[in-house]
Amino acid sequence: MINRKLAKASSFRYMILACILILLAGGLVLLPKYQQHEGIKPQELLGRAISPERYISTDEVASLIINQDPSYLFIDVRDEESYNKYSLPNAINIPLDKLLDEDFEAYLNQDEYDVVLFSNDHFYANEAWIICNRLDYKNLRVLEGGLNNWFHTIINPTKPTENMAATAFELYSTRKAASMYFGVAYPEQVKKETVPAKKAVVKKTIVPVKKKKKMPTEGGC
Amino acid sequence: MKELEQTKRISIASVLFILIILIGLLTYKRPKYIYELTPQQAVENVVSDNFLISLNNIPTTDAAIIDIRSPFEFQKGHLENAINIQAAEILNEENKIIFDKLKNENTTVVLYGANPNEALAPYMILNQLGYTNLKIATINLIYTQNKLVTQNATLELSEADVNAFIAASLKKAMVKEKPKAKTPSPPKKVIPIKKKKKMPTEGGC
Repeated sequence: MINRKLAKASSFRYMILACILILLAGGLVLLPKYQQHEGIKPQELLGRAISPERYISTDEVASLIINQDPSYLFIDVRDEESYNKYSLPNAINIPLDKLLDEDFEAYLNQDEYDVVLFSNDHFYANEAWIICNRLDYKNLRVLEGGLNNWFHTIINPTKPTENMAATAFELYSTRKAASMYFGVAYPEQVKKETVPAKKAVVKKTIVPVKKKKKMPTEGGC
Repeated sequence: MKELEQTKRISIASVLFILIILIGLLTYKRPKYIYELTPQQAVENVVSDNFLISLNNIPTTDAAIIDIRSPFEFQKGHLENAINIQAAEILNEENKIIFDKLKNENTTVVLYGANPNEALAPYMILNQLGYTNLKIATINLIYTQNKLVTQNATLELSEADVNAFIAASLKKAMVKEKPKAKTPSPPKKVIPIKKKKKMPTEGGC
């Protein structure tokens, strides 16, 4: 009697097992949503954010611009108004609030260029840097001191006093030369220019060289 | 015989099935920290700028003040009632407990460093992890005569108009220096030198 019932039930056993599995699979829907990490681990981000490796000095940036290094992109993270007022030559404007716009992603998320972020200070640039680094964008740098430092070191370098080391004078002369490149004029520079300007006016006149006619060789003595 | 083979197969399959589930459960590790803010939210938070707090607005009661500089710097001098949690260690186990506790109590946490920039990285990371009760004190710490002085820091203020400076320098350079008009020098006072009267040579010895 029992055997017969069991046999009856056992004929459905595969169906039953399949049903159980399907039910269990349905249970997966009830599991809490897997929290996805968008970006690198926080611990790693902290390690990167603390190191001052990302900073690039104004002198380096000046020489990059003057040498027209093609492997660098300069990105201004201030708002459009300040960007239009003044920015580094050939800089691209990505306002901080539009940092993650799709249009700008190609500039930030790439391997080809080194990207230098800058703002007035380096506070906004750092904010942008941290967010981009969380998304693991590569080759990002921050201009140390930002445009304020740029003004004080490159555009308007302070003259070293006489008791300073020779290196300070060398630095001053290179910075001064850089500032001339960026359009600052110094009175003594103009004076020098006026002298060669006069020389340049002289037109070259072509004096045809008369070929000497070959004379029949006269007899010598 | 056939029946036996079938049960064998079923048992092998079920053992395998259970094993896979077990391995899956054992290897599943919940990450210790999970970002609660998406990058877009983080950008919005940062742009809003309302996490900055100036020196005078730091609440004296009901707020935890955290110094994120190194213990060495902290020993040299720090704000009153501040706790020292070094920036590199904010994600440690014991510090997580502190931050969790402060978050549950809903107390404002004010972070500060030698300048606001230093406190930015710890702030942004903790904020993205969901600690929304954090602020950054916009102060600079300066030592004058071995005494710690706090100053209010200004952030992102354009200090100079570069274009105007360049224009001014051009103008200055263009203006030829006028030869200085000779100021009439004050008439020289003629001090009559009294000629020594030649004395008749007196006889020597």
